[in-house]
Amino acid sequence: MMDRRHIFETEARKARSVRPTLSRLWKEFRGRRFVLVIVLGLAIFSAWSQVITPDLIGQTVDCYLTPYGQQQLGGPQNMAQAAEQNCWFDRQTGPLSRDDAVAGIRHIVLLLVALFLGGAVTTGLQFYLTRWAGLRVLRDLRVRVFEHIHCLSLSYYGQHEAGEIMSRITNDTDTLQQAISFALVQVVRGVLLILWLIYAMFSRSVPFALISMVTVPFMVWATVWFSDQARRAFRRARREIGEVNADLQENIAGVREAQAFLREEENIARFRQANAANRDANIRAVAFTSALAPTLDALGYLSVVVVAGVGGILMLRNQDLLGTTISLGLIVTFVSYTQQFNQPIQLIATLWTNIQSAIAGAERIFEFLDMQPDVTDKPGAIEMPPIRGHVELRHVTMSYLPGEPVLRDVSLEAQPGQTIALVGPTGAGKTTIINLIPRFFDVEDGAVLVDGYDVRDVTQASLRRQIGIVLQDTFLFSDTVMNNIRYGRLDASDEEVIAAAKLAYAHDFIMALPQGYQTVLGERGTGLSQGQRQLLAIARAVLADPRLLILDEATSSVDTRTERLIQAALEVLLKGRTSFVIAHRLSTIRNADRVYVIDDGRIVEQGTHDELLAAKGFYYDLYMSQFRREARAPSNGRGAREALGAKG
Amino acid sequence: MASPVPPGGRQKMGREGFVTLGRALRYLGRYRGVTLAAYAALFVSTGAQLMVPWLVRHIIDTITDGVTANMILSLPAQAQAAAATRRGVSLEQLRLDASGAENAIIATGIAIVIFAVARGFFSFVQSYMGERLSQNIAFDLRNELFAKIQRLSFSYHDRNQTGQLMIRATDDVEKVRLFIGQGLIMALQALVLLVGTLIILLGTNVKLTLVALPVLPLALLMFLVFGAVAQPLFTALQIRLSTLNTILQENLAGIRVVKAFVREPHEQARFRQAADSHLEQNLKISRTFAFIFPATFLIANLGQAAVLYAGGLQILDGTLTLGQWQQFSLYLVYVFFPLGQLGFIISLLSQAAASSTRIFEILDAQNEVEDRPGAAELKHVEGHVEFRNVSFRYFKSGEYVLKDVSFAAQPGQTIALLGATGSGKTTIINLIPRFYDVTDGAVLVDGHDVRDVTLASLRSHIGIVLQETTLFSGTIRDNIAFGRPDASLDEVIAVARAAAAHDFIMSFPQGYDTPVGERGATLSGGQKQRIAIARALLMNPRILILDDSTSSVDLATEYQIQQALDRLMEGRTSFVIAQRISTVLNADQILVLDKGQIVARGTHEELMESSPLYVEIYDSQLVEDAVLEAAPANPDEQEVRP
Repeated sequence: MMDRRHIFETEARKARSVRPTLSRLWKEFRGRRFVLVIVLGLAIFSAWSQVITPDLIGQTVDCYLTPYGQQQLGGPQNMAQAAEQNCWFDRQTGPLSRDDAVAGIRHIVLLLVALFLGGAVTTGLQFYLTRWAGLRVLRDLRVRVFEHIHCLSLSYYGQHEAGEIMSRITNDTDTLQQAISFALVQVVRGVLLILWLIYAMFSRSVPFALISMVTVPFMVWATVWFSDQARRAFRRARREIGEVNADLQENIAGVREAQAFLREEENIARFRQANAANRDANIRAVAFTSALAPTLDALGYLSVVVVAGVGGILMLRNQDLLGTTISLGLIVTFVSYTQQFNQPIQLIATLWTNIQSAIAGAERIFEFLDMQPDVTDKPGAIEMPPIRGHVELRHVTMSYLPGEPVLRDVSLEAQPGQTIALVGPTGAGKTTIINLIPRFFDVEDGAVLVDGYDVRDVTQASLRRQIGIVLQDTFLFSDTVMNNIRYGRLDASDEEVIAAAKLAYAHDFIMALPQGYQTVLGERGTGLSQGQRQLLAIARAVLADPRLLILDEATSSVDTRTERLIQAALEVLLKGRTSFVIAHRLSTIRNADRVYVIDDGRIVEQGTHDELLAAKGFYYDLYMSQFRREARAPSNGRGAREALGAKG
Repeated sequence: MASPVPPGGRQKMGREGFVTLGRALRYLGRYRGVTLAAYAALFVSTGAQLMVPWLVRHIIDTITDGVTANMILSLPAQAQAAAATRRGVSLEQLRLDASGAENAIIATGIAIVIFAVARGFFSFVQSYMGERLSQNIAFDLRNELFAKIQRLSFSYHDRNQTGQLMIRATDDVEKVRLFIGQGLIMALQALVLLVGTLIILLGTNVKLTLVALPVLPLALLMFLVFGAVAQPLFTALQIRLSTLNTILQENLAGIRVVKAFVREPHEQARFRQAADSHLEQNLKISRTFAFIFPATFLIANLGQAAVLYAGGLQILDGTLTLGQWQQFSLYLVYVFFPLGQLGFIISLLSQAAASSTRIFEILDAQNEVEDRPGAAELKHVEGHVEFRNVSFRYFKSGEYVLKDVSFAAQPGQTIALLGATGSGKTTIINLIPRFYDVTDGAVLVDGHDVRDVTLASLRSHIGIVLQETTLFSGTIRDNIAFGRPDASLDEVIAVARAAAAHDFIMSFPQGYDTPVGERGATLSGGQKQRIAIARALLMNPRILILDDSTSSVDLATEYQIQQALDRLMEGRTSFVIAQRISTVLNADQILVLDKGQIVARGTHEELMESSPLYVEIYDSQLVEDAVLEAAPANPDEQEVRP
């Protein structure tokens, strides 16, 4: 049930404040507004050309065809006089010669051809110019959203899943792009066309216009009702297809388990149900869309009948319609007008939702852009001078949620070149400590000092540029191995990259890859083992060669050989730098100059490994439960004897 | 009129695609009634549509004739006769025209309304039935795909990714559906409309038809150009968009790395470049469309202008009536309409052909592991398992991952499998439930070759617990009862207790009814593992396959899981990919594998003496059991090591 509501909520969202969003969107068009003004002008012209065409055809009938025909039959020459007021092209009074009539028709046709040409050119220009401006605005918005992603602090990413932000951003920009590049032009054209049509009809004859438009309210009503029903039905259909896809995804991914537990037939039967529900929901939804077009068509023909019938009968009786003389040309013109209503009404109805969700999308984009990062460079922040490597946390208190401190009055210090190990149970606050040094978060109380500079007094970029960070979960880009290592220092040459990889003991496995350093890694480094990814991350940090290093050791177990390589590589990496390590390896802890034991946001013990073991306190217990088994294995180098010796 | 056709052109369609599309069309035969209704409705509605312009002409001509007759009858008597002669009708006829005109108009009006309603109704029936038809065929295709995918053996799934198979069952089915539901009907309708209109036009006025006709091939050309140009343009746009999204995705997922290395400017430059290239392609598409669309409409309009002029002249000469003239311009719209759809139909067709090939690739896939004809039910199982000279390779030309492996497990024994990654441990456990077939030799359960019994009966006796557990969406209860959906709640609770899962399950507000899986509560690795143990317990299998490692969990949980695993193995023939010291210590038989061969076998004590490889693995890979409350290490255990 939970998921259904979720889909319903996310999809039915409308903009909360339409006007401010629109005005802000309008601001985005700054510098490109003249284009929109041109587009509006062009749209007015092309709508006009569309409206004027039936009128010109009517003129052909009333000014030339009917008078000539009647004249040939010996009828009076004043038959069509009333209509003649409407003729654009003068003709001589008196009998209409065939040549005159032909010339008149030729005039009209030539004018029509000119109008068609003009209409084609303006339509094309309109289309292109709107998209030109709209797509550029969208490109700028995209870039700004992307830059804002970098701007926001890590606290934001702690609260929001990457996938969720991703789908929000892509969905919102996509709907906005569709609306700007397609729906907007169409709706503007549609509205203008309807306005022109109404104007044209009323200016010719108010009563006849009213009679001709008798079906229009029904058209509007039918369109609104059917599209509303269809939208509801499709919402259900989308939900059902969501179920089908979830079922597919899960059962294909879990096919091995299904076969192991003999679930195939049960799964097939269950899928059949979801699939049938999806089919039925779709058929139901389409019933409404299938009904709309025929209904509107039928209404269109009904208005033809009304116009021709009423007009024709009045003509036969030689009667006026409340002051309007009906002519054949007028009937022909109005028949054509009524047919033109249909399309724009349908268009606006279908695109309206499009535009609504685009506005909602724009609103969310702006909301995202308005989000203030928690960590910003303060005005006049200075460049961090080259780091020597002294780090101090001075009475630091920190909380992600108000009132729930994750660090309480933590003080620690590292001299240049020292390795500091942080040890403690999960959730003790180790990660928070290492996040404070590159200022991913700001402290609530106290201060973080690097070489005596409060990290809040220097620019984030100059600080972080000098700090190397190796995270537990190695993130790799879908790019070559070479470029993934080069991420540590963009201007490094290939030789430098290879040298770093050799130092990090990654060279051998890289050379064993199909294309060596040029192997393109899959999304997030698929195709490499956990251990190999760690080696790449170490190579990256070696290449960056920072004075200050932060290392979050991975907990996941890797095979023995890789484990040895990683330990050797870490030794290379840590040498000669100030390092903070969230340690999971006994060897790392033993080699540390100082071990801080963290529990529940406080430093509970500190000292070297040997001192702490001797104290038989918290660390001793932790060591006993976590590292005992590792200590037993001689493959770790110095082995158990040493560890046990320390214990005694 | 130079059209901007980029190199590359339209994508090629293999003959094969059409053959398989033909196979998809055979599914229509399953829904004869609906098919018939859809196509019958198509003919009726198109016929009614063709009638309407003719009726419009009739109503206009009735008005014209009536008005003309009225006019003539109002002339002086001699003039009346003269006019009537010139018009070629008798005076009586004129009088009739004049007096009957009103009724004729009303009658024609009613006829138009009737035809319009009929057309509306039947075109609704046509598209509704078309949708039902196509949805049903999609339903069938999807069901068949799903069933086939569920039954295809492991080797097939090794070669194919979930995502790829997903696309077959969603996008590809949808494309075939669109063609059957819309493309095919649209094509037929277009054809009927085009042919019918041309016949009527030629029948009405040959000269005028010939005036309008040259426009047709021109428009056709434009639509074809459009069809050819659009697809590659959009494909290129899609590629650039996905590049853009990849950068976005990476920067969101890897934001810490980006920030840590201060790579914001670099990434922003990369994104800006991708955004520009996307914009550029989009503008290119806009330019193409901004030209092609208006140009096509222009051609259609020029056709109308030509009819207007030529028709006007004919009216002046009295060889065409005003109504016919109107009828012509209405029919011209009918001629262009199908042409406009042509490009769309062709693209539907080519996509459907490619998609149906991909769909039938799966449906035709050879299942490598299947019940052989007359396979027997494996009823009661004691638990004797034997590998007899088993060799195995995944691909015909691949390397052997098992070479001449033989061993036997007596009922109730525990067999520990040890070896480096890739030594063949997993392959051995995959051969027992016959997830793959051996290349050489035989796997026997209670003396029966696993290939001689039905898969279902074989697997129903085997329970499997792996370290990585997939939970399916549904409740916790559903997941425990995964292998036996009919199990009662009491049974489920009993096994959950035995698997040390009951307590944490009850800590959820909804207990056993807590939804899990992708859209439900998230369980920790240790919790999932215990669900998996409960799941296997519920099957009460005679033979058990498991991985005894514990995910990173706290000590107390690790201890509980170990207890549960030990309980699970009790009294069953168990094959364990061993990670724990106690497992190998208690195993009746330890098989040490290296490069697909058993290099040593025996009990722990025997192997400690005889196998250096075992000693190495023992030292480096095995972990000691969790002992609750961080109790001091048992000093005795140290002595076990050499």
